[in-house]
Amino acid sequence: MDIVMPQLGETVSEGTLTIWHKSVGDTVAANEVLFEIGTDKVEMEVPAPASGVLKEIRVEAGETVGVGTVLAVIDDGSAPSVAAPSDAPKAAAKVEPPAPPAAALPIREAAPVRDKSVKLSPVVRKLLAENNLQPGQINGTGRDGRIKRGDVLAFLKGAPAAPSGDGRTVVPFNRRRKMTAEHMVRSKATSAHVLQAVEVDFSTVEAARRRAGAKWKAKEGFSLSYLPFIAKAVCDAITDFPKINAHVEGESLVAFDAVNLAIAVDLDFDGLVAPVVRDAGSMAVVDLARAINEIAARARRDALGPDDFAGATYTISNNGTFGTLITAPIINQPQVAILSTDAVIKKPVAVVVDGTDAVAVRPVGVLAQSFDHRAIDGAYSAAFLRRLKEIIETREWAAAVP
Amino acid sequence: MAKRAKSKAPQKTKAAAKSGKSRAQARLNDDIGEAKRLEMFQMQLEVRLLENRANDLFLQNLVKGTIHLSVGMEAVAAGCGAAMRKNDYSFCTYRGHAHTMARGVPMTAVLGELMGRECGLLSGKGGSMHLTSVEHGAMGSYAIIGAHLPIAVGAAWSAQYRGSNQVSVCFFGDGATNIGAFHEALNLAAIWKLPVVFVCENNLYMEYTPIADVTAVENPAADRASAYGLEKIIVDGNDPDAVYRVAREAIEMARGGGGPSIIEALTYRHLGHSRADPGTYRPPEEIEAWKKRDPIPMYRQRLLDYGVAEATVSGIEDAVMQALDEATEEAKASPTPAIALADTEVWADGGSSWRN
Amino acid sequence: MAELTYREAVAAAIAQEMRRDENVVFLGEDIADAGGVFKTTVGLLDEFGPSRVRDTPISEQAIVGAAMGAAMTGLRPIAEIMFSDFFAVCWDIIANQIAKSRFMTNGQVNVPLVIRTANGGGVRFGAQHSQSVENWAMMIPGLKVVAPSTPADIKGLLAAAIRDPDPVMFFEQKSLYGTKGEVPEDDHVEELGTAKIVRSGDDVTILALAAMVPKALAAADILAAEDGIGANVIDLRSLVPLDTKTILAEVSRTGRVVTVEENPRLCGWGAELSSIIAEEIFYDLDMPIVRITTPHVPLPAADDLEDHAIPSVQRIVETIRREVD
Repeated sequence: MDIVMPQLGETVSEGTLTIWHKSVGDTVAANEVLFEIGTDKVEMEVPAPASGVLKEIRVEAGETVGVGTVLAVIDDGSAPSVAAPSDAPKAAAKVEPPAPPAAALPIREAAPVRDKSVKLSPVVRKLLAENNLQPGQINGTGRDGRIKRGDVLAFLKGAPAAPSGDGRTVVPFNRRRKMTAEHMVRSKATSAHVLQAVEVDFSTVEAARRRAGAKWKAKEGFSLSYLPFIAKAVCDAITDFPKINAHVEGESLVAFDAVNLAIAVDLDFDGLVAPVVRDAGSMAVVDLARAINEIAARARRDALGPDDFAGATYTISNNGTFGTLITAPIINQPQVAILSTDAVIKKPVAVVVDGTDAVAVRPVGVLAQSFDHRAIDGAYSAAFLRRLKEIIETREWAAAVP
Repeated sequence: MAKRAKSKAPQKTKAAAKSGKSRAQARLNDDIGEAKRLEMFQMQLEVRLLENRANDLFLQNLVKGTIHLSVGMEAVAAGCGAAMRKNDYSFCTYRGHAHTMARGVPMTAVLGELMGRECGLLSGKGGSMHLTSVEHGAMGSYAIIGAHLPIAVGAAWSAQYRGSNQVSVCFFGDGATNIGAFHEALNLAAIWKLPVVFVCENNLYMEYTPIADVTAVENPAADRASAYGLEKIIVDGNDPDAVYRVAREAIEMARGGGGPSIIEALTYRHLGHSRADPGTYRPPEEIEAWKKRDPIPMYRQRLLDYGVAEATVSGIEDAVMQALDEATEEAKASPTPAIALADTEVWADGGSSWRN
Repeated sequence: MAELTYREAVAAAIAQEMRRDENVVFLGEDIADAGGVFKTTVGLLDEFGPSRVRDTPISEQAIVGAAMGAAMTGLRPIAEIMFSDFFAVCWDIIANQIAKSRFMTNGQVNVPLVIRTANGGGVRFGAQHSQSVENWAMMIPGLKVVAPSTPADIKGLLAAAIRDPDPVMFFEQKSLYGTKGEVPEDDHVEELGTAKIVRSGDDVTILALAAMVPKALAAADILAAEDGIGANVIDLRSLVPLDTKTILAEVSRTGRVVTVEENPRLCGWGAELSSIIAEEIFYDLDMPIVRITTPHVPLPAADDLEDHAIPSVQRIVETIRREVD
């Protein structure tokens, strides 16, 4: 049974324990004076709430602590309570929540394991350290409860993080998460992000996709999405607006001849990677489609190498699969801009038919570009987007697909 | 073929006939000829002077480890070398400076190897005991007693198989006649009738022990010949002409398909087994008697007796000394080998890697 | 493809190479007229004649010495040492001469020879005719070491060994001579220094050589069926050059490794591999490295004693069951 600092007045938040009338190990009878406390308003004796043995004193005489703080523990035969003790007078309403159990708090450095009965193999130690985990978090299914490599991997893959029993589930950042976090914060702090968007009519692209149809999927093993068309149009628009395909280096904008297009790929809600399709500008739509599919597949298989991330000059983040209207993407440093493609859905749009305004249903989607206003101005970015929209809406895409 | 079984006691030189120039000229132009004799004289001299120089360099700590000198035994290498063709194969022991030089290997390369320099015959990687020059047909000096006898047999087998008319000549000491590989090699050479000539330099001592104490027969090589169906051949190893004649006959017999021979050449080393050995296990009278039969002064005298001009002979001596001095300086000036050489040339691709 | 026994594949490989290159010659005891005491070289004398296929006296030093001399002077000899235990008789020529000459002469001398031998036990020949000594050869710088487990690998690797410009010690396991397998009939050459994954699995990698490979595979089947353990069996095929890339990648991937070695315990080939693994991929190990070997004794002759000593399928299964959790 926990003995807590009582609240001696409605506006009192703390008290000083002045005298202990008992020592650790002493037998205590219910209602016998256990200790005295003082506040700036009053001093009083506090009786023991139950009989038992004073097992532990946590706050010494002379210390000032907040109301509800556990002062001592009496072994009265009942289990120690973790939640706020209900018999502290008037303390329930103002009691602070107790500290959560230590195991759930991620510790910065892996503490040395002194317990010799815990056998951690080299690979398990490595995985724990790399992912900022404690052995206690992992359920060991090996002999004698040993944590096996597979147990840590299962934990990381998203076997649900064990809830800590107090209404919280703590999921420490794994390595990829940490790297993403660092990059995103740095990008925001580095670039002067500005968002511009255009609404694009994808009818012509849609016609080409329909033309490719099920035959494409059967032959290639994947569907032909909007993304390769958009990627092609981006590359072509860049030839008119080369400063979009650039890096900011110090106080210079460095534009590149080749478009190395990074494609952001979500890994089943377990992180984000952006591998590169090199020299995308030299590729036809069908080749882009294949290349994008290939790196996405390799990304999901965790089969990407360092070469797959090197040299990106522009990034496309395809968020449309989740049906979003618009996304303000964060620039992939040190690039100058990034494009988000969001959902293409049928919308009523104003068209001109035989010289008269009319409403037609067309597949429409928003393309939103975040650009770095240190290096580029709104007019240039907007002009690029206008050109991009123009290419997508007016090119004979059907000729580009088999 | 003429067999001259000689006793081990040193013999006096036959004095040159004092009768006319014509007799001397006749001798000079006999089956050996002046050119060959001058070649053999020069070769012995080169070996002798180089080995004495190596001795000096050892005392100056420029030659490391140890070296096995054949001072006093030069006639065997010179005589056999003169009887070999350029593309014949020779194999010798760790006491192999003479045999290597007898195949035409330059002095700088030999001294450089002894001194562990880049210009060494083996770039400093083999040392004195492993002198090899494949381009000269010197197929190695071997430091494990007897090991090279079967190897020499293999080279002879190769020549026989290819029909190349090459002969393999294998030099070894009296001690080797008691090791297993000697017997295996002779037996195989005999049954396959291979073109190999085994030359045993019997200098009376197996390292520090008199050969007679450890051998069941009197002539360690010649008396084993019959066990392999071969002729007993003993020759005065200090007479290059005698060695040359015997070697030539054996080599040409092998070349013509007549099979192997074993020649026992009686000789004596003036110095210890190796540089570390003062040779005190030999009776001083024995050493003195053999030194009086030093092949080089003997041969020098023979040349003069046969009518070669003193100027020619001393001209050779001066030239050899000068060449030796130049070679010494060249070797001294050569740097130590690049550290990278420590792990090259284990494999034919030049590397030493055992893994990927 | 043809179905050949392991012993027939030896003759097939030698014949293939002797047809291709007239410099290939072959010597050994009872190899010509008798076709080899293990009948591994039947037919070679008839096809290639007595100048290329030569019977020798019982002279191991002369056999390998002559092979070296011939190799130094333009031929490509194959020498047979009847039982690998006999290497002890001619070890000077192999370890001091053949292995070292190229290095000592800084590359002047080339020794492109193959010494092939019948290695290992399991056939009740007693201690002096049964040891596996591929580890002796592995320890000498300058020797390549090959030990195939199948007829196809015999043919391919022996051909590769004969074509190799360096000295190759070729270990045939006598207990495998009667085993059969599909062998390519035409020009078949494998690559030295390449291991083969002969059974794929995710739970534990078994590194095995020669006669231990079929035992590892049999153990793997039992472990899969009865324990749900997926064993990843690698046939090393060569000890020198060693395919460390494959070994390290597979051990890394599975996190667990066990070796199965026929040589006696101390300084068996698995000791070296364990060291490499522990040094280079320590942080990928989920289990201590375990070696399954013949104990450090000479091999006994009686059936049950020998079978107890040489790693058996049962011992492999039990060890893995015990160690893998």
